[in-house]
Formats: sequence, C-alpha cells, structure tokens
Amino acid sequence: METNAREAILDRLKSAHPASVPPRPSLPPARELALDAGECVARFQEQLAAQGGVAFQMADEAALLARLEEILRQEAVTRAMAAEDAVLAPLDLSPWGNRVGVEIVSPAAFNDRDGYTRAVFDQVQAGITGADYAVAESGTLVLVHDARQPRLISLAPLVHIAVVPLARVVPTYEAAIASLFDGGRRPSQVTLITGPSMTADIQATPFRGMHGPQKLYVLLLG
Amino acid sequence: MSSASLFIPCIVDLVLPGIGESTAAIVRHLGLTPRYHQAQTCCGLMAFNSGFRDEARRLARHFIEVFEADEVIVSPSGSCVNMVKNRYPELFADEPAWQRRALALAPRVFELSQFIVDHLGVTDLGATRQAAVAYHESCSTLNGLGVSAQPRALLAAVRGTTLVPFKGADVCCGFGGTFSNSFPEISTALVSQKVGFFLESGADLLVMCDPGCLLNIQGYLHRHHPGKQALHLADYLAGALPAGTGRRP
Amino acid sequence: MKVSTARFRQTALAELANARTQKFLQILPLRLSARRQEAYGSFSDPEAAHRLGQAIRGEALARLPELLEQFERNAQANGAKVFWAADSRAANGYIADLARAKGVRYVTKGKSMITEELGLNEHLAGCGISAWETDLGEFIAQLLEKPPFHIVGPAINIPVEQIRDIFLAKGILDQPTTDPVALGKAARRFLRDKFRDLQMGITGVNIAVAETGTVVNVENEGNIRFNKSAPRTLVCVMSLEKVVPTLADALHLLRVLCRSATGQAAGAYISLDSGPRKNGENDGPEEMHIVILDNGRSAIYANRHTREALRCIRCGACLNACPVYGKVGGYPYGWAYSGPMGQVLTPALRGLADAGDLIRACTLCHRCKSICPAGIDHPGLLLHYRYKDVQADPLLAGRGADPKERLAHRLFALAGSRYAYWRLFSRTLRLAGRFFTRGEMLHGLGPLGRGWFQSRDLPALPKKSFHERWPEIAAKHDHRL
Repeated sequence: METNAREAILDRLKSAHPASVPPRPSLPPARELALDAGECVARFQEQLAAQGGVAFQMADEAALLARLEEILRQEAVTRAMAAEDAVLAPLDLSPWGNRVGVEIVSPAAFNDRDGYTRAVFDQVQAGITGADYAVAESGTLVLVHDARQPRLISLAPLVHIAVVPLARVVPTYEAAIASLFDGGRRPSQVTLITGPSMTADIQATPFRGMHGPQKLYVLLLG
Repeated sequence: MSSASLFIPCIVDLVLPGIGESTAAIVRHLGLTPRYHQAQTCCGLMAFNSGFRDEARRLARHFIEVFEADEVIVSPSGSCVNMVKNRYPELFADEPAWQRRALALAPRVFELSQFIVDHLGVTDLGATRQAAVAYHESCSTLNGLGVSAQPRALLAAVRGTTLVPFKGADVCCGFGGTFSNSFPEISTALVSQKVGFFLESGADLLVMCDPGCLLNIQGYLHRHHPGKQALHLADYLAGALPAGTGRRP
Repeated sequence: MKVSTARFRQTALAELANARTQKFLQILPLRLSARRQEAYGSFSDPEAAHRLGQAIRGEALARLPELLEQFERNAQANGAKVFWAADSRAANGYIADLARAKGVRYVTKGKSMITEELGLNEHLAGCGISAWETDLGEFIAQLLEKPPFHIVGPAINIPVEQIRDIFLAKGILDQPTTDPVALGKAARRFLRDKFRDLQMGITGVNIAVAETGTVVNVENEGNIRFNKSAPRTLVCVMSLEKVVPTLADALHLLRVLCRSATGQAAGAYISLDSGPRKNGENDGPEEMHIVILDNGRSAIYANRHTREALRCIRCGACLNACPVYGKVGGYPYGWAYSGPMGQVLTPALRGLADAGDLIRACTLCHRCKSICPAGIDHPGLLLHYRYKDVQADPLLAGRGADPKERLAHRLFALAGSRYAYWRLFSRTLRLAGRFFTRGEMLHGLGPLGRGWFQSRDLPALPKKSFHERWPEIAAKHDHRL
C-alpha cells in the first residue's frame, strides 16, 4: 500500500508536462553584510527589541553574572534550569547560584524523561541557555539542540535568558546555518528565536507568553 | 507614422461614444490622422472573463482581422487593451497560427495615455483647465498594463489642474464587468468606499482611464451624489485643449 | 470543519451586514499590508528579493518529483519515517493507527492548514482520540466550529464575550472575564497541561528542504515547538509541494514568508528538524513521521494551469490585498483557505461543483498577483476555472454553463463577428433602452441588470453610436474612413 501510493504519486508527477526551471534574479548582497562588528551588534539589538526581546552587552564574565543575578531577582526566580552547552558550561552556574540564592537545576540531573519534563514545565521559573549564533538581520538567536542543549529549557519556563559571545554575532542567517549543516552534520533540531512567545489572536490585542516565554533576555558577552 | 487607428471598445461605441470622439480629437491634436475601421465590434473581454472562450475567440479573430495591418492602435480603455495585449496569446494557446497573429499585433496596441506619453514622448498637450482632480487607478490599467505615471503626467501638465492626494487610489472600484451585476452587494460596498474617498479628497472631478470603472463610479454618483462627477481621461483632456482642437463634453 | 463554499453568496451577505466583521476588515488587512510593505524595505533590493522567492517556488515545482525523492532519501537518512498518502483517508488512517499503536488518548496540533484540509480532528474523534488545536486562534475557532477568518488571525474577529462563554462552558476558564490577556492566559494554562503530558504531536510543514531532509516551521506562539519537542512521537504532515532544493532557498523563502504574512523580519520561532532526537538528548521525539500528502495534487500538477496553485506558501498577503476579502472576510470562502489563496486552492483540491460563486467573486483587479511572493497568477487561474466550469470539464467537475447565459454570449459573439450584425444589434439595443429611459439616465432595464441597478444608474443610450457618428466626424475633419 505504502509503496504503491509512493510509486503512483511519483509516476503521476514525472509523467506531467515538464516545465523549465526559471532563471533566478541576482540579489544584491544583504545590507547587513556591509556592517562592521559593532554595527552588527547594534543591528541585532535593534531588531530583537522590535520583537520585544531585551539585550545587554557585558564586557566580562563578572559583569555578566551581575546582570544575570539582577534579572533573576527582578523576575523573582528562585529556581532556574540551565543548559550545559559550550557557552554556559564554562560559567559553572550551579555553585554561583548557591551563592546568590537561586537554585540552578541541570537537565543532566534527571535520569528519566518524565522527571525532566515536570521540572522544566512546573518547577523552574526561568531557563538559561547559551546560543550558537546571534543573527543581526532579524535580531535572531540560533540554538542547536543536542544532549547539552535540550529544547524545552528555552521554551517551557516563563523567562528565557540566553548568553551569546560577541564573536558569535553574524550578519545574516546563511553564515550561521551553513556551518551547522556543514559536512553532513544534521542537528536533530535547530531553533531560531526572535523575541518572546507572542500572539494577537484575540481582538488583535498583543499578548506575550502565549505558550512559551513571556520575557527574553539576551546577554552579549565580550 | 502619420495616422493612428482607433480601437473604440463596445461599451464606448454603444454607451459612451463621447469618449471615442475625445480620443479622436486628442489624436488629431497630436498631429496624427485618426482612422476608424467601421468593421470593428468588441474585443471579447466580457466573454473571456465569463469563461466563454469559444465566443471570446470568435470575437478575437474578428478583432485581429480588422486591426492587424495597422501600424499603431490606440484605445481609451485599459482593460480592453490588456485583453488584446495580455490575454489573446493565452486565448489562442491551442491555435498556433492565431497565437502568432495575436503576438504580432500586441506590441502595436496602446492604451491612450500610454500611447501619448510612452510612444509619442509627449506629456504636455498645451491644455488648460481649472480643476482639482483625483486620479483613480483602474485595475487593468495599473496592474495589467503597468500604466499609472503616464495619465498622472498628462493631468499634471494641464495648466490650472492640480492632482490631489487620493486615498485608496489603487483599490478596485468594484466594477469587475459582470461581477458588478452578479455580486451587487460586494460591488456596491466597493464603489461606495471609492466614492467616499473621492468625496474626502475634496477633488472636483475623479478621472480614470477605463470606461468600465467610469460607468460604475458615475452610475453610483448619479444615484447617490448627483452633484459630483467622474470623467474619462480622454474627455478631461479633450475638454481642456485649446479652442478648435478639442471637444468639451 | 464543515465545508460551506457553496454558500459563498449567503455568507458574504451576512458578513457585509455584520458590524463587527466590517470593523475588523477596516483595520486588519490595511495594517498587515502596511507592515508587509515596510518590512520589504529592509531588503537590499525588494523587487529582486520578491522575484527570487518566486523563482525558488517555480524551480521547486519544475523539479518536484526529483526533489521529493531527494527529500525522502535525506529524511530517512536522518532517521525519520516517511509515509506517502494518496488521499486524506490514507493520511488520517496512518495517523490514527499510529496514535492507537502508541496508546495515546489525545494528540495536540500545531497550527496547520493541511490538517484542516484532511479533516483530521473529526477522523481522530471518530477513533476516540481527541485532537486539540494549540494555536490560540485555531483553538478558539475549533471550539466554536468556525472556519478561519484570516490565516494570520483565525479568530481575531470573535467577540471576547463569545470566547468567555465557550471557555467557561468547556472548563477552560473559572472566573468570567472579557480581558483578552486573561483569556489568553486561561488558554495557556489549559494547553500547557496538554503539552506536559503529551505523547504525540502533529504539525504541518512550512518548508521541506530536499538537500538536508529538514522540515521547517514558522510561528509566533511556540505551540509548534512544543508539539515538536515535548512528545515521544511527532508527525509532520506536508503537502507534497512544500519541498525546495536547498537550505539557502529555505532561508530566503522564510524571509519573504515572514515579511508577507505579518510584516516581521522573522517569526518569533522558526524550527528546523532533521530527524528524531539523537542519543543523550533530554527531549524531542523518539520517532519522527513525515506524511507526504498528495490528496489530488499530483493530478493538479499534471495541468500546467492548475499547477500554478501549488506555488502557494500560505502567507496570506493576498487576503490583505484583495478588495473582495476586504469586504466579506474569511467565512464566505467556506474552508481552510480564504481570500484569493482559497479561490485558487479550493477548486483545485475540491473541484468546481461547489465553487461557482467562489471563482466568480473576483473583480480581476490583479492586486493579489502583484504582491504574491510565490508568483501565482490568481486572476489567470480564476479565468481558467471559469472556462473549465463553463466547459463542464470532467477533471475539475465543472458544472456547465447556464443555458441562458450561454445563449446570450453566443448571440453577442455572433453580433460581434460581422459589422452588419453589430449594427443591427446596436440599433436594437438602443431601441430597447429607450423604453426604460427617464431623462438622461437609465434607472433600470426590466429583468436585466437588477444587480447593477440596485445602487447605480446608467447613462441613457445615445441616439447615435460611435460607429454612426464617425462619418460625420471624419467628414468634418476631412479624414478618410
């Protein structure tokens, strides 16, 4: 049945009158490609702000942690789940959390999926992640999900805080995405995040935090 | 080129012949001799739009036979010109011989303002008329032929005439040929919106390049706002020409 | 969803008289059009970006069978299971069997027009499995059993009182409120419970990438991400035309899609899935099923006219540009797809039997065509459908012409085929017109033109046609005839 449907569909498509492949107009390079590094960061911040995200730029780790503490306090966060991706792991947030009075939960602490799911849905008020890239053209974070970057941390809690090294700010999607799929790499999921979860489905009234985070903070480091 | 062949749409022939006279007057004013084939009838637009392609082909063949020897063909109707230029090739998709004839004819057919501005390179007709004018972008003229700057340039060059800003200038007036009769409530909602914007604009006159839109808008104005007037571009310009060359409707 | 395309006219009349509908139509399409216009300004060359998107869709269709095979190969290599469904029965059956095999009691759905097309919710309900829409607008529309009002805001026109009442009745809301935000929060709480315990999620597909076997979705709420991330089983249903050659093509299409739909440079969430989760991952599906749905599309593809409808990327920009949609809203179109998009897709997918008014409710203004990022010639396609309808085309289930209308067109074409006949026709017409003329205007034509004369007059027919005037004009100016 399955094979038959497949063959029948493909046969019909193949026997259809062939059409020629239309020529592609050449597109001038994106405006963002002409920006220098500083302008790229500014563009990223401006575009993110247009979609309701907030970005801060910190010179060093100490400043970053101070800002993180301030945000967690402001959002009344007592427990947060933090990914252990390449950006966050060196920050070693768990002992730091103990010092500032916020319990930092690691997804690795759960040996069953249901326990992890319950925690990320119900037991933490914030999710903290690194990001693989920040894209200037649209103010977008790129997160590659893998064993160190679970999907729900940046989705289920009401607050999402993402840390991005300045060197990871790129002008356009192409630079980021091509490298992630390079050499046959196929990340199971890549997510592009541009602002908090939003809707305007009732009477066109904007409402943030429809399903995912109500707040998105981006901490640019460097 | 010393003459131009007039393509007078059936709606102008039967209902609004004055627009045809104005067109002839403008052509003459430009130093060309207007010619008119008495054998012409209808381009087949209405039949085509209604799905009756056999009937549309019959009319289109007649049209091609009548006009194909002409050097330039001018018409005061964006939608009819769009039919001949852009729909005939599709209409004759299965008749290569007729399709060739249609394709050969297409580049020689012009909407009036397109003919004056693009083909003759004229924008100033030396005309004078004191009026604040709003320009309605007829859909086939704008989206089918890409003609918008031409009529605006012609109007702007008339001494004493000012083009006023017109909200929703490029939104359909709700004519759509048989649509206006088949879906009267939707059509009325659209023409009443168009007329509302016209009244808001403060313009004295609403000018356009398509006799279909004109019937619709003027018909609505006559019923609901009898003091206000819509006019075809040809009538507006011809009425503004120096005495003796034009014809004021 | 009940299909009510055949009632286009009645529904349109009701919506024209509905003050709330009219209020929303005054605002929403204009606002979205303006946003789109502004967003396109961020391209280095908006016109070239527009045409590149159209070329990508054109190439995708030209190379469709080859790209589908490539996509299938790569998706399978990524670990996804690919199922080809000939029709909605096959697709619904596959999904229901899977749900039963997994022992799930309910499924959730990301916003997806394709599952609307399948009637998947009804099918699953028949199998004892509830299906919950999770996009807020779709969720409300589902509860109220309404078709989408607008593809970007399916329930945006629904009064808050009505939402309050249905939420109270369904136990979604405890305390009555008409605050849109409070209503949104109630839906969040309700659906969050569904997501937490979710066993199987179902989404549509915005773009499928042949070179990588990747499925791409765009959204603003995050419900699709939940559907893709929370459950152990994920089903992505894609209509077979969604595939594009490369990731770079997908990125460009995303740019034009987001700008065209909501005027955003990017939707809040874009997710690219290449197979199920890998070892060691905390979340994400253990099984990823991709259903490639035909449902008549390969037959549509065979015809070079109807094939063009398959370019559509469901952005909804044509709704905002359409003068008719702008007066009647989404309900008259009577199915998942409204506006010009619905007028080209619905007849292609369901045939012409119920679509007589649907394909004629268009003034052929061409605005949809000029803004379409996928390069669809909507008016051209509608003219084709009208032709096929009049012809009683068996493939599209055309209904054949109304005999009176056909006779009128035949007689008119006969009259126009020779000048002698035309002169006779012209004289007869003007003679008849005189009968109805009062002063300078015609206020009616008896049984003819009743629709026209509801709100408009016609000028009195002239005593002489242009044909008859010409000899005098020519003589006066000494033109040869």
